[in-house]
Formats: sequence, C-alpha cells, structure tokens
Amino acid sequence: MLDKLDIQIREAKEHAVIETTGYLNDALGEQLAEKAQALIQDGCTQLVINLEKTTLINSIGISILIEIIEALTEREGTLNFCGLSATQERTFRMMAIAKYAGIFPDEESAIANL
Amino acid sequence: MKDPSQLISGDSLQVHKTQSTAEQTMERLIFSLSELEHLGQTLISGHSNFNHSSKTYLRITLGTLQVTRGAILRHHQTRQNLEVVASSPDQVFAPITVEPNEIEELLQHPFIESANLPESLEPFFARTAKFIETIDIRLWVPLKIHDELLGMIGLGSFLGREALETWEMELLTTLAHQISIAIAYSQMVEGVQSEKFRLFMLAESAPQICQLLQPEAAAEQVVHQAVSLLDANAGALMLTHAERQELEMHYTFPETLVESSTPDADPNGLVLPYGEAAPTSLETTSVDMLKSVVTEGLPGHCPPKSDTLFGGKNLMAVPIPGRDGDILGILVVGDKEERGGSIAPFTDEDVILLDSFAKQAGVAIENAHLHQEALEARQLQAEMEEARKIQENLIPETLPDIPGYEIAGHYEPRGPVGGDYYDCIPLSTGHWGLAIADVSGKGMQAALLMATLRAGLISELSRGNGAAAEDSGTPNDRSVSTLYAELIKMALTLNSLLYASGTAEKYATFFYSHLNPETDVLTTLNAGHNPPLLIKKDGTYKWLGEEIGGIPLGMFPNDMVSNIAEYEAEHVQLTSGDVVIYYTDGVTETENVDDEYYEEDRLVEDSKACKDSDAEGILKYLHDAVVGFQGEADQFDDLTLLILRKQ
Repeated sequence: MLDKLDIQIREAKEHAVIETTGYLNDALGEQLAEKAQALIQDGCTQLVINLEKTTLINSIGISILIEIIEALTEREGTLNFCGLSATQERTFRMMAIAKYAGIFPDEESAIANL
Repeated sequence: MKDPSQLISGDSLQVHKTQSTAEQTMERLIFSLSELEHLGQTLISGHSNFNHSSKTYLRITLGTLQVTRGAILRHHQTRQNLEVVASSPDQVFAPITVEPNEIEELLQHPFIESANLPESLEPFFARTAKFIETIDIRLWVPLKIHDELLGMIGLGSFLGREALETWEMELLTTLAHQISIAIAYSQMVEGVQSEKFRLFMLAESAPQICQLLQPEAAAEQVVHQAVSLLDANAGALMLTHAERQELEMHYTFPETLVESSTPDADPNGLVLPYGEAAPTSLETTSVDMLKSVVTEGLPGHCPPKSDTLFGGKNLMAVPIPGRDGDILGILVVGDKEERGGSIAPFTDEDVILLDSFAKQAGVAIENAHLHQEALEARQLQAEMEEARKIQENLIPETLPDIPGYEIAGHYEPRGPVGGDYYDCIPLSTGHWGLAIADVSGKGMQAALLMATLRAGLISELSRGNGAAAEDSGTPNDRSVSTLYAELIKMALTLNSLLYASGTAEKYATFFYSHLNPETDVLTTLNAGHNPPLLIKKDGTYKWLGEEIGGIPLGMFPNDMVSNIAEYEAEHVQLTSGDVVIYYTDGVTETENVDDEYYEEDRLVEDSKACKDSDAEGILKYLHDAVVGFQGEADQFDDLTLLILRKQ
C-alpha cells in the first residue's frame, strides 16, 4: 500500500473528505496541499482528511498538514482527521496538530463532528 | 485606517494630487506605523509557514510604499534557487537559479536598481528577465540576516513618482528587516518542528519495533521508520551471513527499489559477498560502500552518480550492531527529501540519528529472530512429543509367551524420539514373526517411517506373506522354499512402501525372523541390519544373516535392488539353550570415554558369560555390560536389545 500514491476526494454539500493512500512525504504531501487549497479556495471550510491508507508520514508531510490547518484556521474552518494509527495519533498530539484539528477513529464520526 | 495604496486611479488619483505633500506624507506615515504593527502581529500570530503569510507581507509592503506591483522571493539554500512566494499581480513563476557567487554579490547591496545593475549580477538578472518584465521590477531589496541571504523583495511601478523618497527607502529597510525576521522565524520553526518530529519518532519507534515478533514484520517496520525519520524516499535492510561473508537483502522500500534484471525477480534475497578483495576500480560504487559499512562497521555515504544498486540515489548506510558487538546487517536510506521535491545531502546529524536508530533496530531484529527460534523450538518439541507418542505405541509394552521359548526386549531412545523398533507378532499359523529395525534419522519423520514399516509388516503378515508353515527342517523342502520366497516378496513390498514414503536419506535396516516353535526352525531375512548373534549352549556362536544379501529398506527402488543386492533368506535349527541376541548398532557402537567402541567381540564375550541365564537375565546382563562400558560417555544412539532363548 505504501508504494502506491493516491488522493481521493469526496465532496458533499457542507464538507469534503480527502483520502490519501501511500507515504505522506513531499510528493504525496504537495498533491494533498494542492487539493486542499483548491477546496478551501472554492469556499469549502469543513474538511476531513482520512489517513487510513497512509501508514507512514515524514516531517514534510507533517509540515504540509500544519499548513492546511493554518489555511483553514484563517477562514475559521474546521479540519478533522480520521483513520490514524496509534503512533500517528500520538505524533499529532505531540506536534500540537491535535490542538487545532479533531482526531476521530473513522470517517463517519469525523464528518459528524465537523 | 484608509489604505493610501488604494488611491491609484481615476478620481482618487485626482484627489491625491490636490492634497498637500505634507498631509499625504503624514497620512502615509500613520498608515505605515499601523501596517508595521499589523506586520508584527502577523509575525507572532503563530503562523509558522512563511509562504502562507508572504502575501500579507507583500500587501503591507506595497500598500505602505504606494507601489502597485511587486514580489517576495524566498531563497532555498539547498536548492540554490529563489522561489516566488508572493507576487502582485498574483502569478505562478518558476524558481530562479542563483549561483553562490551571485549570492555573495547580492549580500553586498542593500538596494539594487534595475536600471543600474552591477555587472557581476547581470547573468542572474538575465535569468530573471521574464519575471522582471511581468512584474515590472524597478528596485530589488535583498533580504538577509548577517551573511545569509533569505530572499528578495522586488518592487515596481511607484505610484505617481519615478523613485522612492529617502524616508520611503528607510521605511523599506525596516519592512525588509521585518520580512527577513519572518523568514528566519519560519525556517527556525520548520527546523524545530522537524527535529521535534524526528526525536519523537525515534523515541516512539524503539518500543514499537521491539514489540514485533515476526522477523519479516520487524524488517519492514525498521525500514519504514528509518525512511520516515530521515525524510528519505527509499530504504533497505540487508542482513549479514557471517559464515558465508554475505549481505542478503531482506526488505526494500519501495518494493521496486532494486532494479532487477528480470521483471519477476524478487529483490529480497539479493546477495552481495563482502569478503572479496577490494575492487581494482577507482570508482567506488554503492555496492562497495555497503560492503565497507559491514567490514569497517562505520557509516557510509554514496552520491547518486555512484549508486549502481538502487538506480542512482543519494545513499547513507549504517551498520546494525548486535548484542555481542557483531554486525547483524546494514540499514540504508536513500534520497533525503526537501519541500518542493529537491533532494538534500544527508548531514552529520542525520548520520547520528540513523546510527542511534540502527542500535534499536538491532535489538528489535535480534528479539524477533530469538522469538522465531523459540517458536520453532517449541513447535519441534511438540512435534517430538507427538512422535514419541507414535513410537511408544509401536514398541510392544509386553512380549508374548511363546511355548518353549523365553523372550525379552529393551529399547532405550537417545532423545525423546528414537529410530529403533522391535516386535514379536503372532502369525495365523501359530508361528511367530520377530522383527528388529533401525530407521535413519530421529524425530517425527523417523517415527512416521517406523509406523509405515510396522503397518506394512503387519499388513503383509496378515495377508499370509511370510507366514507360511514349513514342516521340515531341510532347506530343500518345497515348503521352506515357499517361505523363503514369501519373505523375499515381503521384503520387496516393504522396500517399495518405504521408498515411496520418503527420500533416499530415509531408510530402515531390518531383520526379520520367522519362528516355528514346533520345529524350532528360525528362518531369517536381513535387509542391511546388524546380524543377530546366535550363542549355542556349548558356547559356540554364529552371526545370523551375515552372509546373505539385502540392502536397507527404502533406499532404492525394487528394480535397482535386484542389481545391487537381492534379498535372501536362510534358516537355522534351534536347540535347547540356544540364545538369539537381536540388537541395533547403538549396542555395538556404544563409545566409552576413551573413544573405544563396544563392538561385536565384547558382545560375543558378554553373551557367552550370561548365556545360561533366562532371557530377562541375559537382557539385563547385556544392558548393564553396555552401559557399564559406556561409563560417563554420552549415549550417541538408541540402544535396543531383543533376546530369544530356546528353553
């Protein structure tokens, strides 16, 4: 699964879900940032990022997630994460990502809590 | 506060012209102070990413200075370029390459006018020509702290004037300082975030990988964590085989990292011998570097041009130490990523980080292998227990009473499961079949082969083969010939059965005796077993089956047996007081502490000494004699004795 890089977007009326597949490094991170920025530019301020199929993240991936949080915060939007491994969740808490974004076990609860 | 930069056209411009210069200046100064405060707030707002807030900085700068066009460029040292992070008008531009000597020159100038470019910077500005034209840049301000170039501000189209006034230039200097601080702060926060992430991941990964008990899972996690820790985009784990002096690939990320010569070839399993002499070529390749890491036990680097193994990556490798100080393998990471897709060189800090992680990886890999070994040992133990149970059921608990005879047997396995077998089987004719066998190997396979042999033997005997009744003691009689033929046929059937059950390494020596208790004729067939010893009452002796052919069962197919050594039968007439001693090679090959073997001569002498005892007495005497001879030496083979005595 890590060898494959992919981004899927599921847009609804009030929110959008971005699902990543593969190693969240610079390559996948830039794609993610581009898609997220495009959604934000289009007025979407309720975002869920599903990382269930992304088991590996490096520091560039983390910095890109922080950028998306900053962009959404500026527009008073909400970002929720779901599908995190236990290590990823601990990492997000340690990197203060969890302070500005919600963490939920699955997509359904992440959407419900936007 | 009204933004004076908004007064740029039409009626507003007309109003602007009618205001007194002093009023305008005052208004702009007040606005500037307000915007400087805004800029400061942006800086401390917690937005760590400069690229994100750069548009705000540009807007404040242009508004404060009443400039309609401009851009902020950020310098990336490792990429050796300037990235346009904000521009007015907002457009996307390709990064602009900047050479080290050009950086030196840029740092010398607080301002650079496009109309008056220094000669040494002409090549740089030639590369930026399209950008300058689009934005109409007239004035450049290098952004710097000490001797580090952080970026540049480009300004164009000064509103209503040809150049900035002196106080505006001073204000621009202040703004440039503020933006420089913002870039430096952003870099510092990015660095802190990155280091925080790495240290956390290092601390987090240790217990995580040490919990993995499958060697394959541990290898995978070790590589993934190393790749993530080092911001690399590839990684590999190779383990050493110290005896063969080889490095074997165990895991690569991505899977296609090693370019195979054949599409279906599995890169895991790639072997690099590291015990070879140093290469004669002056060019050190990545393979040479990996070998050096193992032999020297020190980290190694390899630039992309020298990587012949992973398709031209910038590599760093460290040894993975084991508990005993030996090197378990090497951990390799490739191509350290930077934001924007560029590849950065690995730093000294990276080496220290990967080296620290490799120490943890060594513990994890050893743990996983020890766990695997313990599991295998437990499985083997369970298998041995099962085999022991199978074998227990094959050796008779008690031996039958044969009219006119005494019989006693003893079996002592070397380990939990041995490979010897004996039996005494009643035949439908009222005769008896006595068998002794030694199956090659130990454990479950030996037990199963023994079970197969016994099942085949019982089956053959129950079908009447080898059970024929002879009524005369002379071998020329037809009935004796019939029995001979049946025994040979039985041996061939058993040979075929065992041959089909296993490999050539799995075979059984086998000695079978057909006892007619009415005539006291003992007809025998030997398939490669130690010849039993017949001790006569008068002390003379004879080795049974010594001179007749027959190779062990299951070693060759039947059609080859006839070419090597055909099975043959013979018979002997027993008389009162005769003793037949069946045994396996564990008896005659018992070794004492002086490395001497018990051998056949001692068996003969000890058998003569006890021949007048009953079967149980003979058995005990011989067992004690063999064990006594062995003394403190280890028992190397199963020890089996079967005694048949004619009363």
